[in-house]
Amino acid sequence: MSNDRIWMLLTRKLSGEATQTELEELYAILTVHPEQLHSIEEITQLWNQVTPQDTDFMEATFLAHVERMKSRGIILNTDEPVLDENEIEKVKSISAWKKFRIGIFATLAIIIIFAGWSLLHSKNITDTQSIATKTKEVKTLNGTRTKIILPDGSHVWLNAGSKLNYQKKFDANVREVFLSGEAYFDVVHNAKKPFIIHTATINIKVLGTQFNVKAYDDDKITETSLIKGSVEISLKKNASKKYILKPNQKLVLLNEILLDGDMKVKSTHKDSGDIAMYAPQIKELTYLKNDNNTNVESSWTRNILSFEDEPFYEVAKKLERWYDVSIIFENKRWEHQYMSGAFENENLAQAMNALKFTTGFNYKQEGNTIIIY
Amino acid sequence: MRDNNNSNINRKINELKYQISRYEDQTAYKSLFFILFPSLQNFIFTILKSRVWAEEIASDLMMDVWIKRERLQDIENLKLYLFVSARHAALARLKQENKIDVFSLDEVEVEFISDYINPAQASECTELEYKIAKTVKGLPPACQLIYKLAKEDRLKYKEIAEILHLSVKTIDNQLAIALKRIAEVIGTHKKIFP
Repeated sequence: MSNDRIWMLLTRKLSGEATQTELEELYAILTVHPEQLHSIEEITQLWNQVTPQDTDFMEATFLAHVERMKSRGIILNTDEPVLDENEIEKVKSISAWKKFRIGIFATLAIIIIFAGWSLLHSKNITDTQSIATKTKEVKTLNGTRTKIILPDGSHVWLNAGSKLNYQKKFDANVREVFLSGEAYFDVVHNAKKPFIIHTATINIKVLGTQFNVKAYDDDKITETSLIKGSVEISLKKNASKKYILKPNQKLVLLNEILLDGDMKVKSTHKDSGDIAMYAPQIKELTYLKNDNNTNVESSWTRNILSFEDEPFYEVAKKLERWYDVSIIFENKRWEHQYMSGAFENENLAQAMNALKFTTGFNYKQEGNTIIIY
Repeated sequence: MRDNNNSNINRKINELKYQISRYEDQTAYKSLFFILFPSLQNFIFTILKSRVWAEEIASDLMMDVWIKRERLQDIENLKLYLFVSARHAALARLKQENKIDVFSLDEVEVEFISDYINPAQASECTELEYKIAKTVKGLPPACQLIYKLAKEDRLKYKEIAEILHLSVKTIDNQLAIALKRIAEVIGTHKKIFP
């Protein structure tokens, strides 16, 4: 069918593969079918379109490459400013995460348009160094995440609204960091130098492993999820009590008990109803029902916001941190509405609409505040 | 009418190759990196589905280019050479990590450079562009990959055939299929929005 032959010829022409004979054949077909001209013009335009390169991102990528070469003993004398590892990662992570991906696979994703952002003057990530005590602090505000490389080469993904403090040079015997908020750790194995994470309520000792720690000050619980390796968790209030996690387990601790003594607190899981929990619980990690390769506790490191069978007031907190908004429940009954979902490229409106569609609540947005009614 | 895009880029690569080989020109090396690294990284990601590994291996390949700079001129087609090496390295890594010996083009996850748009540089994507992107993503994975290598990476049919171990005829057919589908989308769109 000459219709299909057109595309074959056109492709060969656009790729520079067409012979003179083929070009003539193409023109001949077009003479008989001039209605195709328009499509052909469009396609030619599409084919020749070049996506402009993100030069800032490429600069950072090149710098990281040069650093890597240096670590192999190959030195390039470029006149570039010397950035240390963290700054390179920060520049790259800002670029990478503020780029948006045409989310074709997600059913709800369309195109996300970001407000203007400035690469090196991002107000959302601060990185302060204290000369006196030689510690470094990296902080993220809501709506931003970042990645840090620690002095020993361990990787830390820092979620929104979080803070990590660590020494520029780790001690001889121990590697220590202080966390408030949520972070995912990929710790370099070193049996002689245990890695210890301090949060407000617990200390986590690891030898070399991958795990997620969720310890927001304004959360009721502290959660440590183990992906790989092994961790030992001890309560700050009672150092003799230790919990050892195996991969795919998580430890959930109620902050109120840990900080204020015995208090009855409601369980967050629908099935247990109003059960008073005094003791810390070891649970299995949560995977999405729709996609059981996605681990809810750590999906944020891959830019996926997910929750499985969680009450709206918990989901609201996740949404607040992810999108940097405030969510207020005018109608309290929605607070205990259970929901599941995963968002990868959706903007706030799309996410809210998706949830509204599946659960039935109503909402309005006033500036940076969402009101559920 | 000759295509200008392909020959320009290939000529540029050859010039840079010469500068690097003859004069150890580091600015040329950086330019070469800017041209080739993203394509290589995306290609490796397509096979390995890991951004971290893709970046590592692509970096290793570019490092090699510098290490072997004196003998660079011996390589006639540098872009092809690197893509073939990329495939080789990616498969080796795949085997190492997953113990998989066989690799199927039907399982690749194609990643396009145009997937990532810097908001500072492009204001927004039009609906037609979105529809086209969606159509491309809906093509069979192997077809998508061939389309990417031809359109984005500007590889010749023979080169693509060599990299993917396919026949030129297959490349011909697959690209025709891709373009026909895109044309259909454009046609339908234009009917709604003349």
